[in-house]
Amino acid sequence: MVRYLARRFLLMIVILFIVSVIIFSLVNVLPGDPARLMLGQEATPEALAALRKEMGLNDPLYIQYIHWVGGILHGDFGYSLRDHSPVLKTLLQKIPVTLELTFFSFVVAILIALPVGILSATRRGRLSDYLGTFFALSGISLPSFWLGILLIYLFAVKLKWFPPSGYVPLSENFGKSIALMILPAITLGTHLAAELTRMLRSSLLDVLQSDYIRTAYAKGLLERAVVIGHALKNALVPVLTVGGLQLAAFFGGSVITETIFGIPGIGQLVVNAILTRDFPVVQACVLFMAFMVVVINFLVDIAYSIIDPRIKLGEVSKG
Amino acid sequence: MKTLRKAILPFVVIALFAFLAACGGQSSSNGGSSSDAKSGQSASTRTDKSKLVIGLDADPPQLDPAMSTAAVDRQVYQSIYNTLVDIDKNLNYVPELATSWKISDDGKTYTFYLRKNVLFQDGTPFNAEAVKFNFERMLDPKLGSPRLSEINLIDKITVVDDYTIRIHLKQPYAPFLSVLSDRAGMMVSPTAVKKEGKDFANHPVGTGPYKFVKHVKQGDLVVERFDKYWGNKPKIKTIVYKPFPDGTTRLTNLISGDVDIVNTIDYKDIKRANSAVNLKVSSTESLGFQGIQLNTKVKPFDNKKVRQAVNIALDRNAIAKVVFFNGVVPATSPFPETSWAHPSDLQVPKADVAKAKQLLKESGLNNVSFTLKISPSPQEKQLAQMIQSMLQQVGFKVKIEMVEFGTLLEQIAEGDYQAARVGWSGRTDPDGNAYAWFTTNGTLNYMKYSNPEVDKLLQEARTSLDQEKRKALYDRVSKILWDDAPYIFLYYPKDYKAMKNDVEGFVHVPDIMIRTENLQFK
Repeated sequence: MVRYLARRFLLMIVILFIVSVIIFSLVNVLPGDPARLMLGQEATPEALAALRKEMGLNDPLYIQYIHWVGGILHGDFGYSLRDHSPVLKTLLQKIPVTLELTFFSFVVAILIALPVGILSATRRGRLSDYLGTFFALSGISLPSFWLGILLIYLFAVKLKWFPPSGYVPLSENFGKSIALMILPAITLGTHLAAELTRMLRSSLLDVLQSDYIRTAYAKGLLERAVVIGHALKNALVPVLTVGGLQLAAFFGGSVITETIFGIPGIGQLVVNAILTRDFPVVQACVLFMAFMVVVINFLVDIAYSIIDPRIKLGEVSKG
Repeated sequence: MKTLRKAILPFVVIALFAFLAACGGQSSSNGGSSSDAKSGQSASTRTDKSKLVIGLDADPPQLDPAMSTAAVDRQVYQSIYNTLVDIDKNLNYVPELATSWKISDDGKTYTFYLRKNVLFQDGTPFNAEAVKFNFERMLDPKLGSPRLSEINLIDKITVVDDYTIRIHLKQPYAPFLSVLSDRAGMMVSPTAVKKEGKDFANHPVGTGPYKFVKHVKQGDLVVERFDKYWGNKPKIKTIVYKPFPDGTTRLTNLISGDVDIVNTIDYKDIKRANSAVNLKVSSTESLGFQGIQLNTKVKPFDNKKVRQAVNIALDRNAIAKVVFFNGVVPATSPFPETSWAHPSDLQVPKADVAKAKQLLKESGLNNVSFTLKISPSPQEKQLAQMIQSMLQQVGFKVKIEMVEFGTLLEQIAEGDYQAARVGWSGRTDPDGNAYAWFTTNGTLNYMKYSNPEVDKLLQEARTSLDQEKRKALYDRVSKILWDDAPYIFLYYPKDYKAMKNDVEGFVHVPDIMIRTENLQFK
């Protein structure tokens, strides 16, 4: 186990290194000159040249890369080209926001997906199954901008139960923060719930066909004990994979949901940074997202072995 | 099977509980969200009159006026900074940090008498030395200030006494006061600049009615009443600026949320805003122009007849109606109707397809085709498609290419285009709408247009201080530009703002700024 963890850790570093090179190259081939964008329509060629020089845009790319990575290793992600604020500070401001949204979306998703998925699988072919499948299909097909706007229209404009959009940190006003999070969490969570429901239903159906389940029933166990105690655990592995991937994606910020609900998270930050060619911010954000994907994948792997002890980490399958 | 229902029951209960808890949490924070949402319905229910929320169309990227390039920055500057001179609703210059000024007869020396007992928000006194510091900072090429090109005619700055400053220009420059009514005239605290250096943009200090508190990127920007402000004490204690890039979201938050005023509403939303019972809408013509820029150095627009054909083939009224819901004014010159330089005798013509065909024939070119570059937005696309189909009737083949805005500017600067949809936000003085755009080698003349007569007229107009004479010169320029057609003027944008009924004290100046100083609740 320890050896496995060490190996995985090394691999993570290699992956992050490769990712950093890719990010850096991609960001630098983006069309659009940051100096031009900063100075705007009226810029004189001299002013442009001076600014490019000041921003270090004239250095060869590999030098720029070394400066960048060297800085990160010292905890310095550079400064925004726009307003000279430290990138790390901005990123640290955004992470809790995205974290809060991610957390509540997941709560919504799990609260929906577990019961609906189990119902669909155990009541296969019956009304509740069709309803569950219908929900899953619509949840996946509904674009989040549409659902978001619909929710705002119904709950904020018509019923006035929730404010339409905005963000307040939890620490500043707990109640208001939660109230503001509900609609975006439902928007994001519904989509995820739909995917998880579908996964859970099909994998649970598989498991319910297996011999040991029949044995369990034969032993006279109650359905609840069979489904929750035996089948669910085994059915969760693929669900966890999908959930983990989605979780990682959420950390990248959900640009559309964030925009509709005016939530100042990582998604909005990165899109704005791309539009304004704020390279250091774009790079830091993407690197952070990649980092989260790698870390979550790692955690999911560990979770496998907890849920299903038959999965031994690091052992080559001898099947 | 019953047992399973029992198994699932806890989940349902938890879900329900979570939902109720969330609702409960919401109503317990009543003072915040839900009462705000309802307060829009009638003014009398507003309990908290100490905070005003302004919805902006973008997050302000730069809080240092010397470095700003985004229009939205200027909205926030209205709270934090003062200008040397301000403009009123009718574009007259009015005192602000300068209580009066004298212009020498040769138009080259400006003497400003400064307001006394003015403090920057960090306690630094405002005086002639501070003004000198500000101009020298912007003039320093090392700073790379976009303001430099606006004030580079300054030759020398003399501090006469503590509250008198004299600015000598290299040549007479009529629009100088107009420049000082905008970002170049905003005075920042020398102490803060020396202390913060480049970080000043994140800790801005001015002399304005509100002092900066905090800014979360893409989130709230908070300013608070400056108690030692020289002018009338603002009625509202705290102002929060919130960015809503999406127009629909912005308006929804104004109607049903805690936003009190928005800096702009989309043309498509004007009707919806007008019909919302808790809102009032204000509009004014702004200072800019919009249209199509033609590259006069490449085919087919190096041919004047082709440019003229485009110019008269377009139905400006139809464009205003279809794309902009009649929220804009059809245009014929660089000077909108708010400007005294607007050529009233240059009427918007009806589209004349027959004459356009004739001109195209006279040009000697067959199968004329070109690419129109636009920036990506649904509105731009619709506009381009209308242009495309109108020109098709004449015999033009128009290809539309969408290019990201920064890249578009770059390609235009490099001359890598035939036609491009780029406009101008406009300036108070007509010179700001014409000189850089239409003089040979002008800094914005990416059309590569050159007409010695226009050069002469515009040069004369910027050095004369006699408005009547200047008006005659600009009228002449408008006529020549219409005939030469290096730029196809399509429309003058109008500015629409909406606010809750109980917001008072807003004056709609054509520079489209929200001056927060006098805002209050009924």
